[in-house]
Amino acid sequence: MTPSSSLTTEGKLEVGEETRDQILVEMRAIWKRFPGVIANQGVDFELRAGEVHALLGENGAGKTTLMNILCGSYRPDAGAIFIKGESVGFKSPAQAIAAGVGIVHQHFRLVEKLSAAENIHLGWEQTPWDISMTKLAERTQQICSEYGLHVDPRAKIWQLSTGEQQRVEIMRVLARGARILIMDEPTAVLAPIETVELFRVIRSLAASGRAVVFISHKLDEVLEVSDRITVLRGGRKVATRLTSKCDRRTLARLMIGQEVVFHKLDKVPVDGKTIVDLQDVCALSDRGLPALIDVSLRVKEGEILGVAGVAGNGQRELAEVLTGLRPLTRGTIIIDGEDLSRASPIRLARAGVGHIPEDRIGMGLVRSASVTHNAILREYWKPPISVGARMDNREAAKFARKLVKKADVRVPNVRVPVRNLSGGNQQRLLAGREMLIASRLLVAVHPTRGLDVAATEEVRKVIVEHRNAGSGVLLISEDLDEILIMADRIAVMYEGGIIGLFEASAADREEIGLMMGGARPASDTHR
Amino acid sequence: MKAEPSSPRTFPWRLQRQIGVTPWAGLLARGVAVLLALIISGVVIELGGLPAIDLAKRAIESTLGSAYGLQQAGLLATSLILTGLSVAVCMRMRIWNIGAEGQLFMGAWAATAIGIHIEGPVIPMFLAMFLAAAMAGALWILVPALVRAYWNVNEIITTLLLNFVAILFVNHFSMGPWRDRVVGVLTATYRIPYELPSLVGTLHIGILIAILIAIGLYFVFNNTRWGYEVTTIGRNRRAAEFTGMPVTRNILIVMLLSGAIAGLAGAIIVTGTAHRLSGFISNEYGYSGIIVAALANASPIATIIAGFLLAVLLNAGIVLSTQGLSVNAVIAINGLILLFAAIGEVAASYRLVRDVEEGPGESPIGGPQWGTPVESAAGAVDTGQGGEVET
Repeated sequence: MTPSSSLTTEGKLEVGEETRDQILVEMRAIWKRFPGVIANQGVDFELRAGEVHALLGENGAGKTTLMNILCGSYRPDAGAIFIKGESVGFKSPAQAIAAGVGIVHQHFRLVEKLSAAENIHLGWEQTPWDISMTKLAERTQQICSEYGLHVDPRAKIWQLSTGEQQRVEIMRVLARGARILIMDEPTAVLAPIETVELFRVIRSLAASGRAVVFISHKLDEVLEVSDRITVLRGGRKVATRLTSKCDRRTLARLMIGQEVVFHKLDKVPVDGKTIVDLQDVCALSDRGLPALIDVSLRVKEGEILGVAGVAGNGQRELAEVLTGLRPLTRGTIIIDGEDLSRASPIRLARAGVGHIPEDRIGMGLVRSASVTHNAILREYWKPPISVGARMDNREAAKFARKLVKKADVRVPNVRVPVRNLSGGNQQRLLAGREMLIASRLLVAVHPTRGLDVAATEEVRKVIVEHRNAGSGVLLISEDLDEILIMADRIAVMYEGGIIGLFEASAADREEIGLMMGGARPASDTHR
Repeated sequence: MKAEPSSPRTFPWRLQRQIGVTPWAGLLARGVAVLLALIISGVVIELGGLPAIDLAKRAIESTLGSAYGLQQAGLLATSLILTGLSVAVCMRMRIWNIGAEGQLFMGAWAATAIGIHIEGPVIPMFLAMFLAAAMAGALWILVPALVRAYWNVNEIITTLLLNFVAILFVNHFSMGPWRDRVVGVLTATYRIPYELPSLVGTLHIGILIAILIAIGLYFVFNNTRWGYEVTTIGRNRRAAEFTGMPVTRNILIVMLLSGAIAGLAGAIIVTGTAHRLSGFISNEYGYSGIIVAALANASPIATIIAGFLLAVLLNAGIVLSTQGLSVNAVIAINGLILLFAAIGEVAASYRLVRDVEEGPGESPIGGPQWGTPVESAAGAVDTGQGGEVET
């Protein structure tokens, strides 16, 4: 399938006739480990002058890590980077920008209270020593017209739209002489009309001989704007293809993968009664934008409802409204026939709702506190741990030891701080604690993220056992394999809404992959 | 961003930030901090032309070498332990009460108001004065507490500024309506006819009250449901909200309690040592309380020790001020101690490690894992003390 718009003709590079000096960047066998995660495993990447090269992959595939290595934010554990044939080892982003590599991060790094002109000149050696607003505005105006990007130089950042802020970021990088521009999920924050404008800019930058890396997980955008596509999955490079030889289906397959690594977990078919009934639920994100739009869902006894989707499409907010952490702006949540739309976390915990949060360290656990402190977090207020105002530390330790044993948390004693536990142990502790209270519904968000294979299998097993014991489970995961293995029904979330609902038996991996990328179901043939 | 080895491979050692501080490292850091501050002060004093070692000897003798010196230090410790506890209570929740000074003055004012205007049997009078002082201290932090709890307004500025208001308020009464016209002093009120009974010599029973409150707070923090909530909120506010703990209400309660303790310190000073309310009853106790609490790392029991340590220093300073060393120099020494304690706090979380390949497989299950998954690495590096700080 060929990209459809008129932008595509100008400046497209015939990649077929490559010559050595056209290669701007070559990354060879890049490895990068973080504690608990291998983010890049021997990744090769090549970038040529005049091309827009898309880096495609799911969240956690290693795209951003790879580009952070290229732009000097991280140093690789192994591997080599060549820029125009010369080996480089950037120790800081400043060195990378001096070599012509600049990055525009997904979350802008601008000073909100300063003007666009001031932001562009911040920390730039070419900034004149005798600055005045007029001078900076003039210089900025020049940069604007040079790159065909328009922004009011005197406007404060907070006054600008997201698209304009992005232009300031781009100009800041270009003004410092970047020949290689990396854009990390640049469209994630943009309105559709701004996206069109951004694509025009990207194409014209490529036409001027620069190289642009476009990081995304949106298939349509990648197909529209890029010349070549490199797909990453699970930290490895899967393929590099010419865009003209790709279509959505092949890309989705490359991105999501096909092999099912884990065996399908056993299942007890139950047709239980409805535990949770969400009706037209709306909620706002932390930034005050609509994050959930008319979400209606039901979770029944003895089923796992898997919510698939790329992160940032409302999954976190969905978990938070269900656990009392985020207010609804509209709609109702009914649990076991009772309207709990406005219930507090404690009230929901009493109603039997447990929560394995996305951010287990930031939210689910108190890292600097002991295992005991963390074990009793949900039940500290009731006997036997607390009687009246008094808290019985011996009972608390007893409770913790019981939990540690039941959830198979491997610790020398319950006094050690949780930060000394491995990721798998932390998650077992958290999951075990939440399952104790989740007699009706367990909301599990990315429960296996960052865990190794063995720990992943264990956590999945206990969640399935919990389901088999008759509880309902809402499993939110961006790992489609996980959803396909574990879920009885699958809902796909995109931009705050549920755009598809499947029985697991009828689920089609490719179709779900397409829908995660924003494609509406074409027909109902799969139902 | 991850902290990365930036040195060339030829130098295999580097500083690595650890997540969290072991108790011993924390204690050592504080000890070294106090020592370093004293050494540097000594060098400066020496350079200033005074015999530092000689002065130190005399300071130690005059404070620790005589019963009178010890009693004087005990009196100072009483106030410092109480203001230290006041600050420490807030620190448990990562809130800074810089206003203990003002709350102390307001407490002293309330106790004086009752003491010089009402007559009654001794014990009920003391209870009334202490209660009034605690309430006045709490009232003085009420507005900062409300705006902090509901609108997250920075408490450092609000509590600090109210100190100056409190001192002016007290000055108004001590130089105006309540001025002792019989004796004819210019800046103090009538003498309060109720005096705290003596323990030994000049040392009154206030020191026992301070120690009892510290022990009481220790039990509250370690053996009550509320103490558990406060600790959880201080260490990870999001986890507290996750469980549904009443965060806002507890911020209010903790700040009011903090104000009440500082207010009580004011009542003890005015009934125990000063006997007349004036603008000079506090030796900057409220500010020194910050140092005490920081040195004690907000632990009530350690606050007793830190309070005594600073009391000895302060008393030495007062003695030395008769030997040509200004009181300001002592305040400067205290400041140095706090500065070094703060540096020590950060330094204690670093280890010198050999540069080796780190891999995910290295951390045994259940064993220490000095790292966090990628998502949280930034948070761990950016925060100041124990890692989890609410912003």
